[in-house]
Amino acid sequence: MLEIKNIHKAFHDNEVLKGVSIKVDKGDVVVILGPSGSGKTTLLRCINFLERADQGEIIFDNLQVNIPSASAGDISKIRKRTAFVFQNYNLFNNKTVLENVTEGLIIARKIPKNEAIEIAKQSLKKVGLSDRYDFYPSKLSGGQQQRVGIARAIAVNPDVILFDEPTSALDPELIGEVLDVMKQLAKEGATMVVVTHEMSFAQEVANHIVFMDGGVIVEQGPPKEIFTWPSEERTRQFLYRILPDRDYVI
Amino acid sequence: MELDVNYMIDTFFLALGGISVTLQITIVALLVATPVAFFMAISKIYKVSIIKQIVSGYVSLIRGTPMILQILIIYSLVPSLINMIVKGLGWDFNVFDVNPIIYAYIVFSINTSAGLSEVFRSALLTVNVGQLEAAHAIGMSTVQAYRRIVIPQALVVALPNICNLTINLIKGTSLVFMMTVKDITAIAKIQAAFGYNYIESYIDIFLIYIIICSITQLLFALVEKHFGSYKSLKNA
Repeated sequence: MLEIKNIHKAFHDNEVLKGVSIKVDKGDVVVILGPSGSGKTTLLRCINFLERADQGEIIFDNLQVNIPSASAGDISKIRKRTAFVFQNYNLFNNKTVLENVTEGLIIARKIPKNEAIEIAKQSLKKVGLSDRYDFYPSKLSGGQQQRVGIARAIAVNPDVILFDEPTSALDPELIGEVLDVMKQLAKEGATMVVVTHEMSFAQEVANHIVFMDGGVIVEQGPPKEIFTWPSEERTRQFLYRILPDRDYVI
Repeated sequence: MELDVNYMIDTFFLALGGISVTLQITIVALLVATPVAFFMAISKIYKVSIIKQIVSGYVSLIRGTPMILQILIIYSLVPSLINMIVKGLGWDFNVFDVNPIIYAYIVFSINTSAGLSEVFRSALLTVNVGQLEAAHAIGMSTVQAYRRIVIPQALVVALPNICNLTINLIKGTSLVFMMTVKDITAIAKIQAAFGYNYIESYIDIFLIYIIICSITQLLFALVEKHFGSYKSLKNA
């Protein structure tokens, strides 16, 4: 369904992505792992044009876009098929919880207000925040804010949801509530691309793991394979540091 | 020394008649300066080449010169310029028929736009870039994102400074007597000249400005409370 081909991206002289390609099918949960600075977040941000890649292609079903020459219309089309969940939530501070979710529906997608409110309420029910409609983000805990962020993402009924380290800014005891929501989404068949350091999530929920380092994909495959029989030394080192209690066959 | 209380009371009410001129200049200056200042701020934030340098130069020029000098220059320069152009075109138009308040509008609009552009720029920069990204990510255009997300948040930050600037503007309009515009100060001074009651007139002016500026501060406090409600600690 979604294919990203040969993405290159440099910030000044620093080449962050050196030709990355991934493929996502409908219903896939792709987890991107890798040490910090490996380009995971930049890759995700390139998919919906929060960063414009210097080179590469995005193919979304029959929509084929060459990234450097993408027009505003192409960008808008791709953004309307994707949703993004940010590490630090980025809820609209001047909008209530309900308005945060309806904003994209009413303003960007021109859905009538009543209908948008209905959709928003359903999305907020899914993330367990039906009792917080009129709260401003500053009154919510981090976990609640991130769940609103997820509700805002699913409300627009995207083909694929991009998660950029959704639990990294959370207190440890709040991570669970966000992961539970994400697991539920995966169970319901949502297509997700997730950058995370939550190994349990990657192991339990993902059906495809991408391991990145130094701006390239080192290795990818089903979680079973990557977690138990990583074929690359670099992957083994990384997993060993993250999961030191496990025994790897060298 | 004795104050002529009757004179003071009469002059107070007479000078109140100048409030409309003071407010007119203030409001025109703010209305003209706001859009101009916004685009100046945006071009600086987005580092639009050439325009950015022009804006920087303009702001330093205006902020780096006394208002009284700007008034003198505009008031002596603009009429001669108009006169020259009118004569050159052979029109039948007497530049001395122009209401001098027009020159006041020009000076204060120029002056306010420079100050306001810096107020806007600093306020816009306080809004986290994540807010704009989040709006883009759900499919909003940059204009939509600015209108609905970024500007409302920046406005709350800018309001105290806009209030400050407005009050300075109101007080600054007291200089328009130099352009023969009859505002509060001018009326009271003219009155004082008849019987040499300067102290009384000055006290009248003093009181009127305090009243206007206090009301302005009050209004801004209310607006700030209204727009900043999302920041308060209690839930409405």
